[in-house]
Amino acid sequence: MKRVIAVLAASTCLGSAAFGDDDRIVVGFATAETGFMQAYDKPAQDAAMIRIAEINEAGGLLGKQIEVVNADTKTDRAEGAKAGLSVIDAGADIVVVSCDYDFGAPAALTAESSGLISFFLCAESIKAGIQGVGPNSFSASVLAPVQGATMAQWAYEKKEARSFYRLLDTWTEYNKGICDGFDYMLPQLADATLVGEDTFLNEDASIAAQITRIKGLPEEPDAIMLCTMMPGAVSAIKQLRAAGINSMILNGSGVDGSYWLSAVPDLSNFYTPVQGSIYGDDPNAEVTAFNAKFKEATGGDPSTQYTYPGYVMIDVWAKAVERAGTTETAAVVAELEKMNAEPTLFGPRTFTSELHHQNQARYLIVETNAGKPGVVDEWTISAPIPVADLMK
Amino acid sequence: MAPRTQRRSVALRTISTPLILAALLVAFALVAWASGSRPFNQTVIDIFLQVIFVVGLYVFVGNSGVISFGHIAFACLGGYVAAWTTIKPMMKGISMPGLPDWLMQLEIPFWAAALAGGAFAAFWALVFGAVLMRLSGIAASIATFAMLAMVNSIYSNWESVTAATSSVVGIPILRVLWPYLVAAILAVFAAWAYSISRHGLALRAARDEPTAAAASGIDIPRARLIAFVISGAIMGAGGALYAHSIGLVTPDTYYLGLTFTTLSMLVVGGMSSLSGAVLGVLILSSLIQALRWLEAGIDIGTTTFALPGGVQEIALGVVMIAILMFRPAGIMGNKELTWPTGRGNDKPGEPGETN
Repeated sequence: MKRVIAVLAASTCLGSAAFGDDDRIVVGFATAETGFMQAYDKPAQDAAMIRIAEINEAGGLLGKQIEVVNADTKTDRAEGAKAGLSVIDAGADIVVVSCDYDFGAPAALTAESSGLISFFLCAESIKAGIQGVGPNSFSASVLAPVQGATMAQWAYEKKEARSFYRLLDTWTEYNKGICDGFDYMLPQLADATLVGEDTFLNEDASIAAQITRIKGLPEEPDAIMLCTMMPGAVSAIKQLRAAGINSMILNGSGVDGSYWLSAVPDLSNFYTPVQGSIYGDDPNAEVTAFNAKFKEATGGDPSTQYTYPGYVMIDVWAKAVERAGTTETAAVVAELEKMNAEPTLFGPRTFTSELHHQNQARYLIVETNAGKPGVVDEWTISAPIPVADLMK
Repeated sequence: MAPRTQRRSVALRTISTPLILAALLVAFALVAWASGSRPFNQTVIDIFLQVIFVVGLYVFVGNSGVISFGHIAFACLGGYVAAWTTIKPMMKGISMPGLPDWLMQLEIPFWAAALAGGAFAAFWALVFGAVLMRLSGIAASIATFAMLAMVNSIYSNWESVTAATSSVVGIPILRVLWPYLVAAILAVFAAWAYSISRHGLALRAARDEPTAAAASGIDIPRARLIAFVISGAIMGAGGALYAHSIGLVTPDTYYLGLTFTTLSMLVVGGMSSLSGAVLGVLILSSLIQALRWLEAGIDIGTTTFALPGGVQEIALGVVMIAILMFRPAGIMGNKELTWPTGRGNDKPGEPGETN
């Protein structure tokens, strides 16, 4: 008899979960707990958990404690679809998916077809949202082209860079995105010229041929827009500097972090856009406080700025739920789309019915000088990048 | 060759194998359906897809004895056919602007896409096979691997037609189990029908005794080519259905990972047995699933028992080594599942030996 009751109890539990019981608010993480994506997903998810704990401590959301369910995508697309279904069946009101568009999309598509909101932890492709998943999908980070555009405009205005060289690693969409943003911005900068461009592949052991072409220029360019990411970035940067090219190097956020700097000793004249500083010098003291909280929760400092979008994600979603007074998808999406320069710890965030991503954002500029990174400035591009230019 | 009456009796004597295998697949489907759990349902869909891939692989590898590392390339061809033919024209225009106009406007149901994927893969299997099937042994294996790498590079770089390495999304997602079940059963029956056909017999003869087979008038490259095309078609259809199961395709989905998973399932099951191909998938997939549940943690009384993450992959490797240690020819060796009859020596999957 006891067993029958247990089975009944279990089945009611399952049944109610499947229909999204309104008494609970559940955040479902269909993210990578194993495999290489874990390195990207875990810190952002930890940051999201910190925001969830804060909200729960302050009395919860709509008077309810936020619950969390997890499923491991194992950095595998087919597993990602399953993980999405798992958290949805466990009653998730929002499905949080992997950082990368390619790996997060299967779970996000699952959420979309179940009529639920999906949030990419830190994807920076325009496809991570309406364009590549559907009208209920969002990304918590900033589009990669904004990074390229930010660096180009900032270097032009603040560093008086006039001649630019574009070096693209064609490995990922993210890299191409940075250079797309740079390409969009450059023609808008009066008398700035592109003195040359080249491509390489992340896995290339040597970029000697590309370096020879840069050295062959009549004058060293003021700035090199380097659109690449880890792990190939380190080798490319090292080779550029070893060849005696001292131009300023502009990057995307993908090279943020000090973990690799020992490989290129005394690196200088090197600039990276970040959403918040992990180096303890963020102009906003609350970011530094967050870093301390993160260290307390996980035992280590954030290793890159990609930790922060997880926090922003829960922050904006919870605000939208609070305003809508429900976790019902259409109402929450409508509230999210009303957000215009909504303040967050890591800069203002805007969502529209056209774009569930940031096409303009405040970036802190981190300069690495003699191997020491630190915030030197902040910059917001003068106008948002039009969606038409992002869709190229 | 065997006279007509005798061949029919071969079919009758061996039909129990695909029937038993189909019943096993139906049993899996019913368990998934009865459980009502959507993640489990998706897991079983995955298992059926793997059955299709491994059975497709078996048609060539099992019958010819030539190990192919390249069959997942056909799945890739089929998967992209699904993307080309089922995504809404507007979305195709954005992600794959280089498609010819007629293909751009095409929007067909999933089953037609699977058939088209199979046909497209079969066509390329014919083209590649015409060259590759003249090789044998390790040279043939390496050449099939080169074919995989070639297809992968083309699909990873042909920006306007395959969207290069980006995910192609918008393929209608099919989450019901039954189409996959039907496809897996069809694959099993196709493999069975081929292996008892005269071409299948000829190829197995060539596998076991190439010199004698050639002396008996078997054109070995041609016999291999037929198997290659049929298995390519099955892989292509499987690849298209795989695309429908997760809703997107990328070239690296159909690359080394899937190649080695399917090959190891075939090897563990028993390379020259259709039952081995199916059982290899069912046993290994069940094991993977059980280990994943253990990784996620199960409640025993008041305590939760959970394996550390990543144990699944290690345990799977250990189990595979153990199976191959004790059964070097795989779980089934070269036997097939049959009804227990009085004729114990019958080897229905090897009709060449019983005739």
